[in-house]
This record gives sequence, structure tokens and C-alpha cells, in this order.
Amino acid sequence: MAQRASIPMALALIITTLGFATLIFVQEAKSPPLIYGAYYAGTMVLLYLGVRVWLPHADTLLLAIVTLLTGIGLVMIYRLTYEVPGVENLATTQAIWILVGSGALMFVVLFFRNYQKLFAYKYLLALAAVVLVAMTFTPLGYEVNGARLWLKLGPVNLQPSEFARIALVVFFASYLADTRDLWAATSRSFMGVQLPALKYFGPVALVWAASLGLLVFEKDLGSSLLFFAVPLLMLYAATGRMAYVILGTLLFAVGSYATYLIFPHVQTRVSAWLDPWSDPDDTGFQITQSIFNIADGGITGAGLGEGFSQTIPEVQTDFIFSTIASELGLLGATALILAFLIFVYRGMKIALLAQDDGSKLLAFGLTAMFALQTLIIVGGVTKAIPLTGITLPFVSYGGSSVVGNFILTGLLLVVSENAGKQQPAEEDKEAGYAAEKVTA
Amino acid sequence: MNAHLRRTFYFFAACFVSLVGILAYWQVYVQESLANDPSNSLQSRRVQAVPRGLILAGDGETELARSEEQDNGTYERVYPEGSPYAGITGYWSTRYGASGIEIGENNNLSGNGEPETLDELINQVSGGPQAGNDIELTLDPELQRAAYDGLAASSTGRGAAVALNPKNGEILALVSYPSYDPNNIDENFSDLIEDPDQPLYNRATQGLYPPGSTFKVITAAAALKEGVEPSDKFKDDGTYETPGYTVYNYKAKSYGEVTFQEAISKSINTIFARVAYEYVGNQTLSQTAYDFGFGDTYEDFPLPVTPSSLGDIPPEQWAQGNIAQISFGQGPVTSTVFEMAQVAGALANDGKLMDPRLVREVRSPDGVILDQPTSSVRQNALDEETANTLSDMMENAIEDEESTARIPGVKVAGKTGTAENPTGDPHSWFISFAPADDPEIAVAVMVENGNEGYKQALPIARRMMETYLKSQGELPIESTTGGGSTTPQPAQPQNGSTVPATQPAPQPQNANPSQPFRAPSQSPVRNPNQPPSQPPNQAPGQPQNPGQAPGQPPVQRPGG
Repeated sequence: MAQRASIPMALALIITTLGFATLIFVQEAKSPPLIYGAYYAGTMVLLYLGVRVWLPHADTLLLAIVTLLTGIGLVMIYRLTYEVPGVENLATTQAIWILVGSGALMFVVLFFRNYQKLFAYKYLLALAAVVLVAMTFTPLGYEVNGARLWLKLGPVNLQPSEFARIALVVFFASYLADTRDLWAATSRSFMGVQLPALKYFGPVALVWAASLGLLVFEKDLGSSLLFFAVPLLMLYAATGRMAYVILGTLLFAVGSYATYLIFPHVQTRVSAWLDPWSDPDDTGFQITQSIFNIADGGITGAGLGEGFSQTIPEVQTDFIFSTIASELGLLGATALILAFLIFVYRGMKIALLAQDDGSKLLAFGLTAMFALQTLIIVGGVTKAIPLTGITLPFVSYGGSSVVGNFILTGLLLVVSENAGKQQPAEEDKEAGYAAEKVTA
Repeated sequence: MNAHLRRTFYFFAACFVSLVGILAYWQVYVQESLANDPSNSLQSRRVQAVPRGLILAGDGETELARSEEQDNGTYERVYPEGSPYAGITGYWSTRYGASGIEIGENNNLSGNGEPETLDELINQVSGGPQAGNDIELTLDPELQRAAYDGLAASSTGRGAAVALNPKNGEILALVSYPSYDPNNIDENFSDLIEDPDQPLYNRATQGLYPPGSTFKVITAAAALKEGVEPSDKFKDDGTYETPGYTVYNYKAKSYGEVTFQEAISKSINTIFARVAYEYVGNQTLSQTAYDFGFGDTYEDFPLPVTPSSLGDIPPEQWAQGNIAQISFGQGPVTSTVFEMAQVAGALANDGKLMDPRLVREVRSPDGVILDQPTSSVRQNALDEETANTLSDMMENAIEDEESTARIPGVKVAGKTGTAENPTGDPHSWFISFAPADDPEIAVAVMVENGNEGYKQALPIARRMMETYLKSQGELPIESTTGGGSTTPQPAQPQNGSTVPATQPAPQPQNANPSQPFRAPSQSPVRNPNQPPSQPPNQAPGQPQNPGQAPGQPPVQRPGG
């Protein structure tokens, strides 16, 4: 584990500062209250120092990447909204959400250092996750753009699926760790695939189906995809059976086709993906504008503040990557993708080094979710896969998403602390050295 | 379990790398075709996001084009002076491309050129907005207006006028009529392109017309070079016979024994045909025409200029009938009004043809002078002595014949032309300069199908010279000009403007001038900042044949 990441932290903050300086001095953007910048930088530095103190064996490089991603996100959100009436305060709102997220991360660090305790409450967590998502069907929930994803709790709007999925990863990690030996011990088989006893399989299938079903009816396609794929990957990691993945993919294909037939909005999404050029002013508008803006960036980009991606609807959330590709070019966008990949690499490393199955599966599940979310949205805005509306972790505007991802990072940190502590000193050093070499 | 974790990580890593590949596909491989996609408005938005430079007239005050900021932050091109300057400014459209100075000086106006000041360099490096540079032209607004009004009031309402300062080559006026309003070009473009009068087409610089008798000054220059004197006597019996082709004088007149001076004053075709064939010869005549700028594309001039031409037959193969026709500007000879103004200018400037210039100064938005082209001799068309002799002959042609071109108090030198053509009545031509002893302005005017030169073109040219000389203090403002009305007036026919009337030429294919025009572009440029799909020196919707009314069959009228 890399306990020290002071230089990456400093670089991340310098990049963010440069971004804001460009916008304010070259683009003559009206400066946001500087105190927010101070809050942001101070929060991230305090977070880093806090983790260094309380989790001396944790992998703090994760925090440097979180700082870089949230910083780039803030710069882009500010760039996209500072002159747009009605949303001109979005960047400061996002800064506040980062503050809240940091608080949540510190909360996890301080009170869930023995995260294994969470495993004892796995059924409760699964129930909580399902209830959270189901709450959007109560009068507390409301619809945005045809999808019922939101909860209004007093003054705060929440997207419960962002939190529910972390709870579900904890549930699956815990449950699969407990039962993974039993999954192999089975006699029945279906189409050549050996099936575990219903006793073990049942709870997994139930929670899986319940959460997935709710999301499908919420019309939250992106989250549905995540909720489907992450448990499947965890199942593979736990059992090593490719057959589950294949079976799951087949199920997914059938399920997708069924939703395609049932829901008109899925049909629209698919046709907009297959041929957006046939209707570039209506259903294909978002994706063609995204592609035009990405292409406009070329290799070196149009320059920060010089692009036209504000024409893309929802640009500051789902399509923020298009803006980055447009204004920072292939080079900037590739750098960002590599930053995500490093986060995923470090997450995987934590899973590899963790000692017990539960910790391994937890770190793996969280990392896989983070990786898949990135792949789904970046693939969506680049027309590699059909577009499903989810956020780019840490970069997109969105309070629930930011806080959820900070919690995710917090959990990865406590797992890495646990793993790092149990590492023999020598191996620790070696692993740290290898990691430094990769990130250098 | 670790093996499974690693495998999953490799899978994720492969996916991330593919994303980079997909990005590279969009941002590099298909980047250009996407930029030109019809539903992609990003390029035109980029063009509209920065103000283009001003285009100013020669007084430094009259704004011919400026960019006005709209509510949505983009800039719209506005042409406060409208139609009279459209032939020069051109139009600027994000849908239909651009023309005129707008495209000819686009590198300066758009601010996309090389950075010239530290400020521009900083802006370019930082990717900041770069306002375009301002361009001051050489045009005299009063003169431009006079030329425009004159052409508007002409009998057919189709024609062109070019005026220049012979001493330094500055273009003082350049008008093509009918013109168009470059404002709101996007809404009007399709109508303009359908208009039978072809207003988008610059008759002054791109229209090729038979120059008729105005070409006689070139033949006369060649004759003087070959030793012919103004006082040399020639006998005219009304015709000049060549094998298979007979030259007649206008209205079959016969003049008897006349001097060469009288031959140019009375514009006697038969004597010019004889002199050209017997004294000048193919080589000297063609070389003299090239020395005056025939065949020149004027590449460095910001507006596209169609080269004037002596026809497709190489001079060494001209038969006697060819050179006879060419000597008085008919047959295969075609020229632009712009070129004939250069001819007048060279004669006015002791035989030295100056580089024609339309741009006086290029300034950065904060006023730093970036470019200030200086005048230079383009080529020596004629030696000084011969030029002055010819200039005297042209002055005498106006003074002796009591021409309506005379301006009291100023000596004018000039030559009319009445050019037979396949489209109807002859084109009315006049080229001149004044004051003849120390010329400050040279003018060429042509009115399509305006009949005799003195009827339509001459009054416009005279009014232009008067206007300019008054503004230069050469003439009293309340000058009483003999019959100096602004509209073309019917005056008694004069000998000085004869019309050639000839038999069919031996090479009838020459009667219809070869068409140096390129086919009109079918695909308007969407983005003027990108390399246009059409060459910039080509106006869209350019007609195939100048002065030819659509629907009218190209009648093979005798050239001559």
C-alpha cells in the first residue's frame, strides 16, 4: 500500500487551480467566491492528512485520484454553468457536496474501521437497500425526465440507488464469502451448469431480482445494468465459474430483449444508439451533439472554455466526459481515463492483498462497480454502447453520486488499512514499491 | 480467488484501453468528416463566436462591414452601406460561404492568421478569442456612390465601372451593377442565385466583354512603337479587304485621306485593321496587349480577376482576318472592365502599370498597423515617350471632337467603344483619365448593351471624374459642366464613336468569345474558415456567359 501520496495530492490540486485560473483569467469568467476553493482544497488536504493519521497503512493514492477527479469535475461544471442563468451556482453546490462526501468518508474511516462488523448485518443492509429504492414509489419520490429516481427528504434531494448499491455490494460480499465453499458442493445441474442448493442460491437471487426489478420499473437503465453486472462479477470472483457469467449474460440478453419489447423508452435509446444520424434533431440529438463535440476536440482539444458542448442536454451530469474530450482533446480525455484506470488498479490491488474472503469480495465488488460505472457512461457518450443515464464517478455534477462514491472510497480505504496492517513488513514494502513504480 | 480478480482486472483494463481507441476513432480518424457533417453546426458557431474585423472605405470612417454582437453572444455580419459596395466587400455566410474581400482577406478579418502582435500571440497560445483585424480599403466613398448611381440610371441597368489612381494603383471605385444587399444573405441567397440579372456576379472583375474600340489604344500603342506617327496619313475608302473577310466602318462611312490622329479620334476600323496588319504584326500587337495586363490573373489582388484574353488562337497563327478584328477589339478579344481601367491607368502614368491595390492598411483591433502595402510598378507597358504621345492623341480625340466627355477647366483623355456582341445591342464602353497632363484618376466604364460608347458609358465616367477631381480640389465645387447631367443623355452622334460593322469572320468560332468561366459551384461552403470546397476566387452562381440573358440563344453575330 502506498501510504504516502503527497506529491500526487499536490499535483491534483495544482491541476485544479490551473483549470480555474484559465477560466477566470483567460475566459474572463466571473470568479466564484474564492472561499469555496479554499474549502475544497482544505477539505481534500485535511482528508489526506486524516487518513494518514488514522489509517497509517491505507492506500492514500486513492485520495489523490479522488482529488484529481473531483477537481476536474469542479472545473468543468463551473466552465459549463458560470454564465448560464439558473444554474450559475452549480459548481459551488458541487463543492458543498464534496464537503459532505468528505465528511461521509471520514465517518466511514473513523467508525467502520472494523468493517467486518457490517457483515453481521448483511440481511438488514440488503433490506435497507431494497427499501431505499422502493421509497421512490412512495409520495416522497418524484420523476425527472421520465425516470423515478429521486427522493425528496426535506430540503435534500437524494438518488437512493447511489447508496443502495453500496449496501448491496456489502451484502453480496458477506453472503458469498460465507457460502462460497458450499456453492461448489452441489449435485444438481441445469444445462450442464452445476447449480447450488436453493438454500444458498435463494437469498442471492431474491435480493438481486428485487433490486433489479425495482430499478427497471424506475426506468433507471444505467443503475440496472450496474446492479446486474456487479453481483455477477462477484459471483465469478467467489466461485471462479465462468458458467455463471455465461448463464448470467444469457439471462441478461433475454431480460434486455424483454425490456426492449415492453418499454418504449428503451426502444428509443436503442434506435438512437444504432442510428442517431437519422434523427439528429430529436431522439438522436444528445448523442450526435456529444459525438460532434468530442470530434471537435481533436487531439489537443479546443481549449478550456472554447468548446460548444453546452448544447448537449444534461451536459454537466451524464455528458461531462464529452466536454472534457471536446476541450481537453484526446490527450486530456485519455489522461482522465487513465486516472480512472489507476483507481481501479489500486482497488484491485487492495482486493488482492486483503486477507479474508469477505474483504476481498468487498474491495472487488466496490472496485468493479466503480469501473463498470465509468465504462458504461464513457462508452455511452462515445456511442460504444447504448446510452444509459448514470454519472461519471466524482466528475459529474450530482450530490448523491459524489457522496456515494466518497463512501465507496472510504470503504476501500478501511479494507486497505486492514490488509496493509496484516501484511508482513517485507511484502508490504515490496508491494508499495511495485505500486509506486506503476503510478510514477 | 486472486486469479479471478486478476482476470477481471485485465478485462477492465482492456475495456478502458478500448475506450481510448474509440475516442481516437472519433477525434482523429473521422474527425474531419464529422466536422463537415451537415447537421454539425459547431464550426459555424466557432466562426460566429469571435468578431470579424471591420472593412472601412478609404476615408477611414465609412464602415462597409462590421460584426455586431447578438443576444446569444454570437456575432452577425452587418454591411451598413449595403449594395453599392457588395461587389467589393462580398458577403459572409456560414451557410453559403463567402465572397469578395470577406474571403480574399479572410486571414486578416477572421483573426486566424499568424499572430502579429504580442497580444494576439498570447490570445492564440491561451486559446482565447481572437478578434479579426480591421481593413481599410482605398475606395473613395463619394466616387463609389457616383459610379453606382450612374450605372443604376443607365439604360439597361447592367454594367460595371472601375476607377483608380494611376500614380499608385489604388482602386478608387469598383462597381458592378445590378448589385445585391449582402445583409441577410442567408435568407436571400437562393433568390439571388435565380435572378436572371445575376447580381452575385462581379461584372467589373469577372465579366469578360469584347472591349470594342477601347482596344484601339493598345493597337495604337503597338503602332507607335513600330514607328507610326500621329501625323502619318492613311487613305480610307470605307473597307479593308482581307482574304475571306472585309472590314467596314461604322454605318459604311468612308473618310478619305486621314491622319493616324484622326483615325483614333473618329475611331476608323479600316485604318486600324490596315495598321495592325501592315505595320504592327501579330507579335507586337499581342505583346503590347500582354504588357498592358492582358492574360494577367492579378493573383495578388484580393478580388478574383478573370484574365482578359486575345482568344484561343496563338498569335503566331493569326490570319490577316484575325488581326484585323483584334485591332479594334472585336472577334476573339475579351476583357474585363478592371483590365481596361488598368490600360487607362498605365497610359496615364507614363506607360507604367502600377500594382492595383484595394487594401490600404491592415490594423489590429487595438489599432496597431500590421500591413501597409506600398505602391509598386507592376510592369512597364510602354516607354514614357510613346505613352505621352498616345495620351496626347487620346486627349485630342476628346478635345478636337468637342466630345461630351469634356470637363471645363480640365483636360480629359479618353476613348469610347461600341462593342458588338452576341447578346443584343452593342456594349457601351469608355476609358479615360484626367487631368490629361497630370492624371489623378483613370476610369473604365461599360454598360451592357448600352449601345454607342458616348451614350451610356461616357456620361458615367465623366461624372466620376468630376466628382473625384472636385473632391481633390482640382475643380471648383460649383463647376458648370456643359450638359453635365447625372443621367445618360441622348447627344448628337459624333464621329468619334464609330461602330464597327463587318462581314462574318473567317473563324466564326471566335465570334463568340471563348468562355474562361468555370462552372458555377454546386455546393456552397458551409464553413468559410475551412478550406472551401470551392476555390475562393470564384463567386457562386457565376454565369457562363457575361451579358447573355438566360434563355436567349447565343446568336452568332458577326464579330468585328
